[in-house]
Amino acid sequence: MTIFRTSLYARVTIMLGALLIAGALSIGVAAWQYAIVAADEAYDRLLSGAAFQIAESIRIEEGKLIVDPPVSVFDTLALSRGDRIFYKVTNAEGTLLTGYETLRLPEKTPPPGAEPVLGNAVFSREPVRWVSVGRYISEPNLEGWASVVVAQTRQARDLLAFDLTLKAIGILALMSLLALAMVMITVRAALAPLHAIGEAIDRRAYNDLTPLSLEVPREIAPLAAGLNHFMQRLSDRLTILKRFIADAAHQIRTPLAALSSQVDLLAHERDPEKQKQSVGRLQDVVDRLGRLVNQLLDHAMVIHRSESVVGAPVDLVALTRHALRDAIPMAADDSDLNVMFESQQQAITVIGDSVSLREAIVNLINNAVTHGGGRMLLVRVLQDATATRVEVIDDGNGIPPEKWTDMLQPFQSGKKSVDQDKDRRGSGLGLAIVQDVARAHHGEVQFESRTGLGFVATLVLPGEPSPSDASLR
Amino acid sequence: MKVPGNPERLSTGPRLLAGARVTVAAIALLLSVQQTWSQYTLFPAPASEKARILIEAATDLVALEPMVRDFQLVAPDVTIEYVEYVTNDLFAKASAQCARNELGADLFLSSSVDQLVKLANDGCGSRYRSAATDLVPATAKWRDEVFGFTAEPAALVYNRDVVPKEDVPHTRTELLDLLRRKSSLYAGHIGSYDIAQSGIGFLLASADSRHSSLYGRLIESFGRIGLVTRCCTADIINDIESGRVAIGYNLLASYALGAQRRGARIGVILLRDYTVVLSRGAMIPRTARDPSTARRFLEYLLSMRGQHLAREVGLIFNPAEMRELESTQKSPSGAEILRPIVIGPGLLAEQDQAKRARFLAEWYRSIAPTP
Amino acid sequence: MRILLVEDDPDIGEAVAARFRRIGHGVTWERDGAMADDVLRREPFDLVILDVGLPGRNGLDILKKLRQRQSLTPVLVLTARSKVDDRVDGLDIGADDYMVKPFDFRELEARARALLRRNAGNATNLLRHGAIVIDRTSRTVAIGGQAVQLTRREVSLLEIMVARPGRVFSKDYLLDQLVGSDESPTENAIEQLVARLRRKLTNSGCEIKTMRGIGYQIIDI
Repeated sequence: MTIFRTSLYARVTIMLGALLIAGALSIGVAAWQYAIVAADEAYDRLLSGAAFQIAESIRIEEGKLIVDPPVSVFDTLALSRGDRIFYKVTNAEGTLLTGYETLRLPEKTPPPGAEPVLGNAVFSREPVRWVSVGRYISEPNLEGWASVVVAQTRQARDLLAFDLTLKAIGILALMSLLALAMVMITVRAALAPLHAIGEAIDRRAYNDLTPLSLEVPREIAPLAAGLNHFMQRLSDRLTILKRFIADAAHQIRTPLAALSSQVDLLAHERDPEKQKQSVGRLQDVVDRLGRLVNQLLDHAMVIHRSESVVGAPVDLVALTRHALRDAIPMAADDSDLNVMFESQQQAITVIGDSVSLREAIVNLINNAVTHGGGRMLLVRVLQDATATRVEVIDDGNGIPPEKWTDMLQPFQSGKKSVDQDKDRRGSGLGLAIVQDVARAHHGEVQFESRTGLGFVATLVLPGEPSPSDASLR
Repeated sequence: MKVPGNPERLSTGPRLLAGARVTVAAIALLLSVQQTWSQYTLFPAPASEKARILIEAATDLVALEPMVRDFQLVAPDVTIEYVEYVTNDLFAKASAQCARNELGADLFLSSSVDQLVKLANDGCGSRYRSAATDLVPATAKWRDEVFGFTAEPAALVYNRDVVPKEDVPHTRTELLDLLRRKSSLYAGHIGSYDIAQSGIGFLLASADSRHSSLYGRLIESFGRIGLVTRCCTADIINDIESGRVAIGYNLLASYALGAQRRGARIGVILLRDYTVVLSRGAMIPRTARDPSTARRFLEYLLSMRGQHLAREVGLIFNPAEMRELESTQKSPSGAEILRPIVIGPGLLAEQDQAKRARFLAEWYRSIAPTP
Repeated sequence: MRILLVEDDPDIGEAVAARFRRIGHGVTWERDGAMADDVLRREPFDLVILDVGLPGRNGLDILKKLRQRQSLTPVLVLTARSKVDDRVDGLDIGADDYMVKPFDFRELEARARALLRRNAGNATNLLRHGAIVIDRTSRTVAIGGQAVQLTRREVSLLEIMVARPGRVFSKDYLLDQLVGSDESPTENAIEQLVARLRRKLTNSGCEIKTMRGIGYQIIDI
């Protein structure tokens, strides 16, 4: 039922209601059974009492067995107003002393004894309850058990059983209804905290991400905690974003200022030679500004992807080949730059995000192209049992070991990010991007100066990709 | 089989009118039924006959005739065949018919209501319920099969001329006392039912024995003094009227009152210690041929109109007449005087053969009746 | 060469069109995607420079349709850097190269030239000749399985010559292909380039032969 799925209230109420009904029904059946037993017990006593009275009245007079049923027996039995009465008294030989000759007990009935035997039968076309009792006659010639059988139709006892059952069921029904009403009220009250949470969130200002301060019951606490955690993460992301925007704004202003300065210079320059120079410098500034903006966006993109993108199998060899195409311009001024690519295997797979990995490798290569010696660039992709490595090797001076940590921080490379001084590495964000990507993939960035080879910047990714690495963070 | 005695009747007048017409039928009936006295009366439907019922009764027609006739005013399309029997004979006949499961009489009326109860207990009755039956008190009906439709007390009746005022007993103790004190005066002049012959007599006597421990002493006293016994109420009343019997004990008051109204110089006393009240019974047997018309008659008996008429003809006695009956509502001890015979399985005691035998034997021993 | 430029931004479009016209190509500049799609169906082109994110029709749609028509016209996609949504990878849909805005115009010219050169039938990523394997994706070369150090220009030269083995390429032709429109090459720039490449081709099973007065040719030895 759809109402079952859409309403917690309905679900609880219906389930409990069904339970109550089932319980009430089974108790009702039990009550009915018990009522029958109780009624039978009550009336059986009357019946047995009557039989005993009759048995008591069996006497010997003038050598003969006689019976004189007291009137009270009939008056007692008459208490069951609408029931017919049958009885039979016989002596030890089975001769009828009084009563209904035709009253016979079922076959398997034990012979009469001092203890009453009760049973059910049909007599005169109606179901009857019978009792059989004996009286031992010890007089010689008459020795033996005289038998008294009293039977009565079942109207009165059935009525009593019905009445008891009806009352029991009545009470049961009332109690069940009460219980159900209580349940409905209680469930409503129990679900109130959920409403409270909803309302508390509704009432908030749209940018209020502070934790909920409601008092909630223990069972709802996980929900509230989840909400708070979620809001906290959102809040953290917003903070990062704000910081990034602030940083970026700060970083962009300088080259923009440089740009406007060069334009101003150009505007006032009359000498065509100097004009041409100015234009050249303008172009440089524009290029650098473009690169900065690109990097800012890349950085933001990488951070976003590390939070949200699920890792998938990536072929690092193919990725690196693409990165080489992107990173090394065809129209390079440094036309003497020799480029080599080495890979032991055709394809090397890792679990990660292809887009951000490519960005990282591109940035490493850019760094090498910008700050390397200008003659040699070697890119290698290796994998062994412990790690997968992308090595970018150039023939430059490298970064001194004490600056390695700093270089990986955003905008930490120096006072000016558009520094043309090629000995001072760091194009502002480039290496920070590589660092972020490395972290997101549970890896790291390593620097090394290898004699005979050059300066090695390596993106290290952890060893065997495990299938359970479903997320990057 | 019992030797039939004189049938139960009050007067011969009205019957002679119909007698000529029904003689042939009566003879035929007599011839067909061995050794059983019965009297057949036909009441043709005043209008064109659409239904016919056979009423077999152990209650004399004289008492009931007004009600039969009044019923035919209400249901003019019904012809009624009324056959009277002695109570025990009626009982035998009804039992046999029930056992043989053959259709027959449509309604049984009997003063021996214990016999009707036994029949119902044997499964021979049929149920009938209506608004009128619901109004009948619980003590006057059983299983909606046997209904009491009259209320007749058992009274002490005496000859006003023979019995002086100071001798008139108002309680059984006073009666016992009287019989002891003036035994020679009243010897042979006390009368009551021969309970062996009279069904009503047996019923009233056994009811009497239930209510008071004085019963034994009473019948002893009667035995000592010499009891005049008769089969039927009318006979004893006649004896009292003629003076042959001075005091009649435990007699059906309705007859005495009827005689009184006709001018008999008799007094009717409801004994103050307790007075048994008999209700005549009606039952539609399971084997009735036309149960629906039988129900109409029964309905009439129990209806306002029927009960009103019953009151008028003395079948339901009127407590307002109490003054006349020289009794008061409450006994000296404060309990109610009237003890209705409860129509219910309690009456099976009366029907128990062993008990009947013993009761009769005891009575015989004490009374040793004077023919 | 006939170039179709699909670009809605007037500044970018003007600059690109001017540059390619300057070096002698015919440029058709369409600002609207729907119109561009139409033109593409009617006329043949040697290169399409396609801006993604056009009004009227998503540039990638035009590319898809072009490829569905079994056209092998080289396409260079200009894309904004929005790799948050990495479905915008034109290479998957059939672009031959892409450049991200803002781009270097010289680089654009160099890559366009490479695409114009490649043309129909030679659009594979790996160009093989004997022991020489040129990886067009990374623009690196391996000889006999070993990576060799080559500059970009050397790779381009090798690529040109290996693409038509046996053909003789004149110095002028090579100049035209390898040097940007705003570069001023030295007199013997091509000779120096060929000499450097020749040295690096030892153990390749090939050599570059100079045909005096005609040009250069690559032959198997």
